[in-house]
Amino acid sequence: MHLSLSHLQVSLLFALVASIILGLVTKRTDQARVRYGLYCFGCFLLALFGISWFMRLLHG
Amino acid sequence: MPATSVSANTAAPTRSPWTAIFLAWLVPGSGHFLLGRRGRAAIIFVTVLIPFILGLLMRGPMFHPTGAGDVLSRAIQWGGLLADLANGLPYFLATWFGYAPPDVATHTCDYGSKLLVAAGLLNILAIVDAYEIATGQKD
Repeated sequence: MHLSLSHLQVSLLFALVASIILGLVTKRTDQARVRYGLYCFGCFLLALFGISWFMRLLHG
Repeated sequence: MPATSVSANTAAPTRSPWTAIFLAWLVPGSGHFLLGRRGRAAIIFVTVLIPFILGLLMRGPMFHPTGAGDVLSRAIQWGGLLADLANGLPYFLATWFGYAPPDVATHTCDYGSKLLVAAGLLNILAIVDAYEIATGQKD
């Protein structure tokens, strides 16, 4: 079996798992963990799409 | 009610931090499981194994430092090997079962290799967390 994922899919997967772990290990309550995980995921998405559009505009 | 649960969670650790570190490295999440944080253990186990398995399915090569190349290349190779090793038992099982795909220049293999490294790095975060729980620095 050979799986092929696009750059976007791999980036989203990494953003998801990294956000879960970061939320889990940095905060002390479940509510704070969920909130921080969502915050990290949002930051990853912002960086992903922001940098993508920046490169798109840079290259024309 | 919250005060009760916090005091219950901050009870003195009953396990050696080195045992927790070793188990957390060997099987992702098992350090937390040993320390009684079973919910977090399950989440860590799944969250580390998913990118590792997808990395394998994408035929991402493991890092094998050769000693050749400039300083930056060697740092990347050795860093990659350490991150691969941080996956613990899944890494050894994969290699023992003959997982050794060629390092071909395709984006899928490259992403797979990065997912294997990412899984190891996430497990390092979990290992540090297990150590801090075992030493009573956090609940």
